Amino acid sequence: MKTIGEEPVYEVFARRALGEPLRHVGSVAAPSDDLARVYARNIYDEESWIEMYVIPRAGLISVESVRTDPVDAHV
Amino acid sequence: MSSPLLDRPSALPRGTVPALVDLVVALADNKHALGLRYGEWCSSGPTIEAAVAASAMAQDELGHARVLYGLLEELPGAPRRTELEWAAEDARTVGLLDQAFPSWPHLIVANVLFDQALTLVLASGLDSRYVPLRQRTRKLIEEERYHAIHGRGWFLQLAAEGPRVRANLEGIVREAWADTLCWFGPAEGGALAPLVAAGVLREAGEALRLRLLGAVGPLLVEAGLRVPVRLDGDRWELTEALPWQRWDEPSRRVPR
Repeated sequence: MKTIGEEPVYEVFARRALGEPLRHVGSVAAPSDDLARVYARNIYDEESWIEMYVIPRAGLISVESVRTDPVDAHV
Repeated sequence: MSSPLLDRPSALPRGTVPALVDLVVALADNKHALGLRYGEWCSSGPTIEAAVAASAMAQDELGHARVLYGLLEELPGAPRRTELEWAAEDARTVGLLDQAFPSWPHLIVANVLFDQALTLVLASGLDSRYVPLRQRTRKLIEEERYHAIHGRGWFLQLAAEGPRVRANLEGIVREAWADTLCWFGPAEGGALAPLVAAGVLREAGEALRLRLLGAVGPLLVEAGLRVPVRLDGDRWELTEALPWQRWDEPSRRVPR
């Protein structure tokens, strides 16, 4: 359990219709998965999502770090 | 054969209408007051997410009160209430809602205890023989599921802050204890008994009290609080008597 003000960040993803891709809609800070669900539901309820997910930011696996070289640097 | 449904007030058994009016007024007034109290924290919660959650719960509670006031319009002899009139002299609110919550832990204790107690009473009407009540309860209870998750999450987070915060929480729980646990009515008889007998409510009194203890007992213990509840076999029970000598059934209050 994290101290108040030091809660981990969860990224929020949602989908408006079947077949549409999940889109990133925002983030919340919460001390537990359950509270992250409550917060995401409260904060990002302006659209009629058919699905919504929260994912701990720490659980995201980096594929590529920030690119610092020109895109054609390999030439 | 199951009992026939009661689809209009005139179908209610004689003598149950005043009891139902009293219950609905008390539920609606308390939900309205709880909504206002939650709403007072909509810009001052300890985190922005918490403030938004308080605001969302406030909207839910005020909406529930409006739905329940609508139920009163059909019942003969019921007082006319709107969301603007709840502060009438005869508002049936419990003492813990008389003043603004003085701290965020006060809001969370009300969320965990009293909010959940009102939900248990509504859940007792889910399969009511009285159709207008049955029709109104399901959506309310679905929204309350998130209130319970919120209360539990915050209660554990506060308790994890350390012994000083836990001691503070214990004191607040004790302040809200009688208001909440007496609200279901006495173990025998009580104003809600005719509603149970008529199938308007599934249960009341001691049965609902034991349900609440079963729901919050494990949380209170997990949080490390010393409160007057213990597990006896598979049943959570009180270890201190409730102040029934002070309980005022008509107002559904324990005067302070």
